[in-house]
Amino acid sequence: MNRVLFIASFLLLIAISLAWWQEEQKIIPISLTPAITGQTEYCLTCHADLPEISPSHPIETFGCVLCHGGERLALDADLAHSSMRGGANPSDLSVAEESCGGENCHSGTEADERDHIQRVMTSIQTTYTGAITSVRFTFGAQADQTARFGVSSVTDTTLPSLTGITSLQAFDPQNESNPNLIKFGNNCLTCHINAQPIEGKQYERFTGCSACHTPILPYFSSEDLVNGGESNGFIHRLTTAIPYSQCNTCHNRGNYNLQTMEFDERSDQPHSRAENYYQPIAQFTLCEYTLDCVDCHTRIEAMGDGDIHATKADIQYTQCKTCHGTLNELPLTKTLFDPNDIAFRMALSNPILDLQIGDTILVTEQGEPLWNTRVLPNNQYVLIGKVTRQQFTFHPVMGSNCLQDPNQQESQYCHECHAVER
Amino acid sequence: MRPNFFYHLHPPTIPAKQARWRYTLGAGGMAVFLVLILVLTGALEMFFYIPTPAEAANSIQTLTYIIPFGGLLRNLHFWSAQFLVIISGVHLIRVVFTGSATHSRRFNYLLGLILFLLIVLIDFTGYILRWDQGIQWALVVGVNLVKSIPLAGESLYMALLGEAHPGSISLIRFYAWHVFGLSLVAIILMVWHIFRVRRDGGIAVPPPALRADSDRISRMTLVRREILAMLLLSGGLIILSIFFPAPIGPGITDLKASLSTASAPWFFLWVQQLLKWGNPFIWGVLIPISIWLVMAVFPYIFPMAEGNETGRCFSKASRPAQIIITVFISLIIMLTLLARWSVE
Repeated sequence: MNRVLFIASFLLLIAISLAWWQEEQKIIPISLTPAITGQTEYCLTCHADLPEISPSHPIETFGCVLCHGGERLALDADLAHSSMRGGANPSDLSVAEESCGGENCHSGTEADERDHIQRVMTSIQTTYTGAITSVRFTFGAQADQTARFGVSSVTDTTLPSLTGITSLQAFDPQNESNPNLIKFGNNCLTCHINAQPIEGKQYERFTGCSACHTPILPYFSSEDLVNGGESNGFIHRLTTAIPYSQCNTCHNRGNYNLQTMEFDERSDQPHSRAENYYQPIAQFTLCEYTLDCVDCHTRIEAMGDGDIHATKADIQYTQCKTCHGTLNELPLTKTLFDPNDIAFRMALSNPILDLQIGDTILVTEQGEPLWNTRVLPNNQYVLIGKVTRQQFTFHPVMGSNCLQDPNQQESQYCHECHAVER
Repeated sequence: MRPNFFYHLHPPTIPAKQARWRYTLGAGGMAVFLVLILVLTGALEMFFYIPTPAEAANSIQTLTYIIPFGGLLRNLHFWSAQFLVIISGVHLIRVVFTGSATHSRRFNYLLGLILFLLIVLIDFTGYILRWDQGIQWALVVGVNLVKSIPLAGESLYMALLGEAHPGSISLIRFYAWHVFGLSLVAIILMVWHIFRVRRDGGIAVPPPALRADSDRISRMTLVRREILAMLLLSGGLIILSIFFPAPIGPGITDLKASLSTASAPWFFLWVQQLLKWGNPFIWGVLIPISIWLVMAVFPYIFPMAEGNETGRCFSKASRPAQIIITVFISLIIMLTLLARWSVE
């Protein structure tokens, strides 16, 4: 009996030693208590080498869990990640309200221009209603071009609606009788910002806010996406410096063929930025391929204004004259006196220049500040590229040798003379 | 040499035949040892557990991942609790199949059966204390089963949980039931149960005149056997705790969210399966209670082992009781497997 007891004691000792060894193998947790939440989280134990996502979201203030969700105290990867919002992408529109929202964040009021999520939800890039309406009309599913359907159902939250469209129903191709519309629904809805892109490295992007604000090229190669862009295989970056290449993951990549209802990729092999920017058929001027899209196009054009619009043409308004004026008028300008002016907040999120009280900048016809511009004393203007940080000096049309009819000031007429030959 | 305190807890000698492992299976003794482990580990867990809906799952995660040896502590508590259910069941079966629930011992049998019920309820309340998404289904279904009892359901529910829907008040009630209400009663009954074993003459054996084997072992030998069981059980529990950690999950965020998959704790999987068949009160409350009641009353109804049949494996006298318990256990195992199968 004593021998059996000795063996049993030895076995217990082995078990205790194993337990001790297991305890020694435990990783030492790295804690962080963000200022906003005041709740300790241990995400940095594994993710300490991830770069800060943006200067506007300092880790000491936001931490990880506020945006990503997840189990903040768990050191087991599966459990820690089990309740993350949107998987690795908390900005997917299905969870953006929880991840990015909040009245002090991106679901604030229209008055303080923090209502980003509400605007994106109704924006043409999300609803894709223009394409849906147009195709349904083309194939006789609706008698007019009134916007009725979006990729998902949406309601205008900023009533009264200035466009008269207060809501859209969710487009369901299975409810359509025309086979072309069913094919359209199956093949052609990958461009709206909450859809997974089609396969191909030229289309690689995330969904939701990150579709635009987490640019992949030129910051990361497509191999990064497979092998891990930054440490641990994640691209951890949010920026308002969005290069044209990110816009081009959806735009200028090809066309949907109305006969086959399939996507025809552009077939040319661009070798320069000028060739890469637009499809061969497009006309464009020098500044339209030396600048990035976001240098001229505004946040309202990209993210919407809170109203539901029927087509892209209803929301996209920046033209050559926005910066260059017309034969009879100089572009609109504004001198910044209010330290709370939205221009300062925009400049803060992408500090490419030191915007000061008293600076005069260009503004759009809708009053949006082109905060990356300056009016120079010699009646010239300067624009600093939001992505490239290049400085471009330009002058107004008024006082130039332009012979254009004063009543034809839209960009298409400018292209008649100023388009670049490819 | 005067026996020390621990020796003194045991009778000076017990019959050798009935003291064998293959007769007792060591089940009753191991159950007592498991209760001791549970009390010790549970008391330590109380230093870390926070019984609020917002912090319950977080505090368990802190205990598991951050506190030194916290994971081991929790896993030991978990595995001891699971084993206690199993070993108590084994003890119950052994008692019936060895003709130990005799006329004079049937009250202690009843005490044991109440103890078994309490152990299952303590296990269930402990399971609920996790307050993570893994227990959500069982919590919602469990409390709704109480409500389904005709006439008394709502009142009973309020008396047990103290609020209309499970929330912070319910959680602290579950905590109170687990660490105090049920456990205190169980420990008192356990002491009574052990006392009654001694009072009823120790392990069930035939009367001295009818015994074929009159050999006895000393309490020293008995204690050595108990120590051996404790060593092996402790080692086994530690090994299990190392390689098979207790379930853990993200905290409950929305108790009203509909759950697509049913997931009762393993010892209630058979009830989960029964619930698929119709009225929750009948299948989820009445039938399980009826099974328990039948088991509680059969020493009072059916003939049980007496005389030479006492303490004999598969004694003929208690055959009806053996058949009934075999049928019940087979049904419960089949239903459990069916529920497990359908989940996978």
